[in-house]
Amino acid sequence: MTSVATKSYDHLGLGDGPKPKSMVRAKRWSEEVENAFRFQTAGYRDEIEYKIIMKIEPERWPVEPGYVKKLQRRDGTYYYYNRGRECQDKEVHKIKLYQY
Amino acid sequence: VVYKIVRMSAAACQSLQAQGFTLKAYMKNSKVVGPPSAGAFAERPAKPTAFRKFYERGDFPIALEHDTKGNRIAWKVEIEKLDYHHYLPLFFDGLCETVHPYEFFARQGVHDMLEHGGSKILPVIPQLIIPIKNALNTRKRPVICTTLKVLQHLVVSGEMVGEALVPYYRQILPILNIFKNSNRNSGDGIDYSQQKRENIGDLIQETLEAFERHGGEDAFINIKYMVPTYESCMLN
Repeated sequence: MTSVATKSYDHLGLGDGPKPKSMVRAKRWSEEVENAFRFQTAGYRDEIEYKIIMKIEPERWPVEPGYVKKLQRRDGTYYYYNRGRECQDKEVHKIKLYQY
Repeated sequence: VVYKIVRMSAAACQSLQAQGFTLKAYMKNSKVVGPPSAGAFAERPAKPTAFRKFYERGDFPIALEHDTKGNRIAWKVEIEKLDYHHYLPLFFDGLCETVHPYEFFARQGVHDMLEHGGSKILPVIPQLIIPIKNALNTRKRPVICTTLKVLQHLVVSGEMVGEALVPYYRQILPILNIFKNSNRNSGDGIDYSQQKRENIGDLIQETLEAFERHGGEDAFINIKYMVPTYESCMLN
């Protein structure tokens, strides 16, 4: 298993990818917050960072509203998520929403 | 000396206790006691599980994580690529466990595999029955609780899984019949197990209703045969 974290992505011409301009913490739960929770649990800032590092689209549930289903982490292991809501109210305030 | 012996035997006669339907029970001074407890609700020791052996040997494709978010398994292999015939019965075997980390990994592993198994679950059903039966037979409240939630998840995990469980009701349902009425009468006090979804009586009712909803047309009559006090949630 190769560690993705040590790889350089300079050859992609992206540098480290687009840098977020600002960040706000989520106040209440929404579908956007739910997906951000899933990426941040797996150790990524958000979907943009995941795509740059892993170079794949995150797998999503085919059923509405199509939350993220499976994410590969930087150490090569996988996190699996339920089709329904997972982010509990007590965790919502920890979620960071980045703006570009 | 003779006087002493007579006094002692008189004292012994006063406290004579006898089981019913024995010769002793016919004696004048004997007191017949009730039958001993059969121990239907008593916890039974679980045998060492294969899950524990495999876990300690490092056979499972799961990574241990010691962080504060300890409610998720990091899979080293994609679940879709796992051999369900091998791993799913092993994880079910771990449902008998009550101590960390075995209990957590068994419960969470079963949850993940059922959630993402789809059509791979149905062919494995016959191999799951013995681990389920063993877990319920321990009669430990936390183990029964977890197993009931797993059963509720199992019937909705894939097409025809509910129907495939009907022939195995004879193995699964006797314990549910024993504990079906185990609801605490706390008067007007608060039973916190209701909030935490740990009330065995309620969980059994929910599980039987899930069996009936997903078990097809033969489900109700088969449930009724094993749990006579169950009333249909669909016919009424």
